[in-house]
Amino acid sequence: MKGTRSTVFWLLALILVLMLPVQGHAGAPGFDKKEIRIAQWGPQTGPAAPWGSVARGSDLIFQMVNEEGGIHGRKVKYFIRDDQYNPAQTKAVVKELVERRGIFAFVGGVGAACGMAVKDYLAENKVVWVGPSTAINEYVFPVNPYLFGIYPLYEDEASVLAKYVVEELKVKKIGFFYQNDSYGKSGLDGCKKRLATYDIDLAEEISVEPGEKDLSSQMLRLKNSGAEVVFLWVNPTSATIALKTCATIGFKPQWVSSNTLSDFPLMNTITGGLWEGVITGGFGIPPDSDHPLIVKYREAAKKYAPEERCGTFYLAGVLFAEPLIDALQRVGPDLSTEAFLNALNTTKDYQGIGPKITWTPEVHQGTDSIQIQQCGPGGSYILLQDWVQNELATWKPK
Amino acid sequence: MDMKRDYYEDIEVFSSGTVLFWSIALFVFLFTLPLYLSSYNIYLFNIILVHVILAVGLNILVGYTGQISLGHAGFFAIGAYGTALLMTHLGLPFFVSIIAAGLIAAFFGFIIGLPALRLEGPYLAIATLGFGLTIMHIIGRWDIFGGRMGIQAPPLDIGIPQWGLSALLDSDVKMYYLILVIAIVMVIGARNMMKTRIGRAFVAIRDDDIAAEVMGVNLLTFKTLSFAVSAFYAGVAGGLFGFVLGFFDPFTFNLILSIIFLVMIVVGGLGSVLGAVMGASLITYLQYDLLKNVDEMPYLGDALVWFSRKFFTVIGLENFNSIMLGLIMLGIVIFEPLGMFGIWIRIKKYWKTWPF
Repeated sequence: MKGTRSTVFWLLALILVLMLPVQGHAGAPGFDKKEIRIAQWGPQTGPAAPWGSVARGSDLIFQMVNEEGGIHGRKVKYFIRDDQYNPAQTKAVVKELVERRGIFAFVGGVGAACGMAVKDYLAENKVVWVGPSTAINEYVFPVNPYLFGIYPLYEDEASVLAKYVVEELKVKKIGFFYQNDSYGKSGLDGCKKRLATYDIDLAEEISVEPGEKDLSSQMLRLKNSGAEVVFLWVNPTSATIALKTCATIGFKPQWVSSNTLSDFPLMNTITGGLWEGVITGGFGIPPDSDHPLIVKYREAAKKYAPEERCGTFYLAGVLFAEPLIDALQRVGPDLSTEAFLNALNTTKDYQGIGPKITWTPEVHQGTDSIQIQQCGPGGSYILLQDWVQNELATWKPK
Repeated sequence: MDMKRDYYEDIEVFSSGTVLFWSIALFVFLFTLPLYLSSYNIYLFNIILVHVILAVGLNILVGYTGQISLGHAGFFAIGAYGTALLMTHLGLPFFVSIIAAGLIAAFFGFIIGLPALRLEGPYLAIATLGFGLTIMHIIGRWDIFGGRMGIQAPPLDIGIPQWGLSALLDSDVKMYYLILVIAIVMVIGARNMMKTRIGRAFVAIRDDDIAAEVMGVNLLTFKTLSFAVSAFYAGVAGGLFGFVLGFFDPFTFNLILSIIFLVMIVVGGLGSVLGAVMGASLITYLQYDLLKNVDEMPYLGDALVWFSRKFFTVIGLENFNSIMLGLIMLGIVIFEPLGMFGIWIRIKKYWKTWPF
């Protein structure tokens, strides 16, 4: 027994020594003559693991850039770190990357609390952060010189969708079912502001706590309100429960939802086909589109990451990285953080597979536009309306 | 020799000159640590020290008193939110806030301790589990707690800014010294408490609560006291954790965290302060640092990437972290029933009798 014990002990010690961190490049400025170091955190394991595909999606476009020779002779060295959707770990991996590797810019980044925990640290260390994969007002207002937002604000999205419902679907009895947090509340806010311009009041507004498993009373209230269109500003689980509950009580409104639920193949599977017909906002061109860029990315994904499902979130990773690469290309061979910031701040109407993006030194929220998409048979995408701006957006400089 | 003639010798902080010497050496090392380490490592050390405080407290409950808690993330959350909110809303100084938050956690610990008088084993585990989950949800629903969006910790000022005595700790290194001093005080406090009447009462309850009662240990007092003390430690740890993180939401304090805390003391060694310290350090290091950059390791990295591509899914590689963590935990529990503390005892014995 003694022999086994000490063997195990030494084996453990050996493993730990082997796994001691590799010391990398020293700190700033995050690039040299051969490479630019870009990184992203994302939950690859743990409760939010399905969103991890965003970080892997960005890898695709960096591989494509490197294949074509890099950016002005510099290859992109891309790091992904798993933070398990835990802000304490996000801060650890971000510090490790910035201090041990020397990171030029972060891209994407899932998780509201995760991002909030590192936002100030990144700015203090002059590390640029492009395209967080969440819409949070605190990210972009007041303007943070190092943070550039792409994700359309939920308020703008709900406003555009409400306009579509009233003007195109000609419906005036509208219900709103939302998650009781900043995500749900900003959706509600945008919808109400839009409806106020038509003098319409919501027929019913009901909040839900994420994690609530029984939604029958809420759904009955919506049914009794006579709403013909119901906004669904909740997470995928609550949405699934809501749709299934309504199917059993025979309530069939037109559902309208946010882009967070625009992964139609996934939603269609978990709702057992009930997702068909649901209208959502979209922050990117649908993955099954024949848009030349999407086709290009789909082909590349087959080549570089054949095991990945090339869905909405995977392509979102590409979408967040596109304007970053565009700015790097415009900077030219004389790279520096200042020059890069300058290029980002002069981005005007840049469009890849997402909305048109414009950044100025005063406004770092890049867009107020969404597409309107509908889930077709088998989780396919039907484009109802191409990019629409929210002319009511409150944050836009007049 | 180690002959003790008096009970008071038992609670001496340093039992011999050797212990004193090495303790001082350790303190010197810990206090000069920021000289050799980068800010990232200091951040990691801050998290480790916070977990050490918590694990030592949890060990008082689980290791010494023989109760179980799956709800320590709840006390941790009370500490974090309590400290931050008392400072922002009432403008209380840091030390007052953190002690008050610790006492609030202790009060909740006392309340949870009451059912523990009747519940044991799995039933107690369920009760405490319910507590941990409830706290997370209550915080998530109340706007004063920032709801599910979370809250920003105020600037960490350990002076009394209202009176012009400002001492702002704005870097990881400065925070490290604060946490280190608090951790040392609390670890030594726990070690000594376990050697007093209170500690002996806890151990008696663990070994046999009926026998303990027969001997005159008041179960009501000591079981609830154990919960309260343990919760106080968790509360103080949580208060510090909030500042280390800077921003936190209720989900940060989820069930997994409670289980990880339990893992720390089991791996470290139940019923030993040193074990809790070692367990908290090892598990935190493994969770936060190990295998995070696996694919960039020389040789081994490439091999693992190949292995993962061949046999696992797209995120197979990331799961190596959890797999290794699990294997190391299993290895220690199977081969070292006393935990890392057991390894430590053997190393100590080996050197004491060396070269024989």
